[in-house]
Amino acid sequence: MDLYPAIDLRGGKVVQLTQGDFDRERIHGDDPVAVARAFVDAGAQWIHTVDLDAARTGEPLNRRLIAAIAGSVDVPVQAGGGVRSLEDAAELADAGVARVVMGTAAMESPELVEAIAARQPVALGLDVRGREVAVKGWQEGSGTDIADALRRLENVGASAVVVTQIAVEGLMGGPDLEGLAEVLRSTSLDVIASGGVGSLDDLIALDDLVVDGRHLAGAIVGTAIYEGRVPVDEAIRSLAGNPA
Amino acid sequence: MTLIAVLDYGIGNLRSAQKALEHVGADARLTADPALIRDAAGVVLPGVGALGRCMQALRAAGLDAITEEVIDAGVPFLGICVGMQMLFERSEESPDERGLGILPGAVRRLPDGVKRPQMQWNLLERRGDPPLLAQAPDPAWAYFVHSYSADTEDELVTSTCDYGGPVVASVGRGNLWATQFHPEKSGRTGLAVLRAFVDAAEEGRA
Repeated sequence: MDLYPAIDLRGGKVVQLTQGDFDRERIHGDDPVAVARAFVDAGAQWIHTVDLDAARTGEPLNRRLIAAIAGSVDVPVQAGGGVRSLEDAAELADAGVARVVMGTAAMESPELVEAIAARQPVALGLDVRGREVAVKGWQEGSGTDIADALRRLENVGASAVVVTQIAVEGLMGGPDLEGLAEVLRSTSLDVIASGGVGSLDDLIALDDLVVDGRHLAGAIVGTAIYEGRVPVDEAIRSLAGNPA
Repeated sequence: MTLIAVLDYGIGNLRSAQKALEHVGADARLTADPALIRDAAGVVLPGVGALGRCMQALRAAGLDAITEEVIDAGVPFLGICVGMQMLFERSEESPDERGLGILPGAVRRLPDGVKRPQMQWNLLERRGDPPLLAQAPDPAWAYFVHSYSADTEDELVTSTCDYGGPVVASVGRGNLWATQFHPEKSGRTGLAVLRAFVDAAEEGRA
């Protein structure tokens, strides 16, 4: 399982939200490129970025910073938040982003994912509150059950699905292993878990999760890294089959 | 500083390759200028996306002939990803578009039963002791994103990775090196590959 240290951007700053709530924000600096470089120097093999402003409003206010990160590190960078058109996706690819993450747009238009996936790698980004998929930067529910969404989006050409458990996001109280097990059962796509990791043990629990012989492909960790509970270098050493 | 020409033929993102080469101490230039390319100590051919589109763009930029020229002249040359695939005779991805045919063999779709693309970090298994990986850590992990892979003569293969069986990860013949993985996104292994390439260019051999 790969570790994806998270760099969430809002107003040009590196932040972490609690449960996706824009009013519960902690700021972790204003030099995202330096943060990304530090993660890579510690051994990270991926960087996961989110443009929170774009996720909420569609305005890609932090895109230049994401491009700067992608151009500055020698590992693949994944980028989500406000990827809602061919042009958005192409701009990120041109900036060196390895994979775009599509959430709201994927729910609204599987055809768009298909069109983008024909040109560049795409991951689905399904953010769930309970079992319901949330959209628009988690501000709204979609009324769609996660398993239904996964079935509908199984064959649109995405290479992975990032599943974020909103209820546990930013709280470091442990991931929703049961929910993730069900996601593994519901899709053949690579599954990247996001939300809830608060310790190395939580990360190892994700690494150890097996359903029908399948493991999680990755875990996105934000808050626990910034709070010093999960040092990137130790985390990578503790995961199986990793470029440590 | 060692001048490395990164062939610029109008396809997406070449800056990552350029920056990574700069990172290992090269004077890396994105260029389509034949004079600059002939002047360079080493030449890099990156490539992303569909092979047919890359081939067309390479021809349209007039860089197919100079690619053959510098390889024939013994200049250290590095093909990356689709830039490696284009060196072969043909590809199942674009049956109507001929490859450069500098290396024998074809590029074939990854077998059924594995996910396409392979988009992940994977472990390189060396064949022999390729100069490409002389400075790479052991184990050497590299980042791959591809749906097609080379099918070529065994003696050209310098490393493989396991993806539903052995998949060609790099090839080499004299001054010509090529990788299916992305050295510019492969962390320590990738930088070691690029450093070995720049060293070879500096020494005027590969």
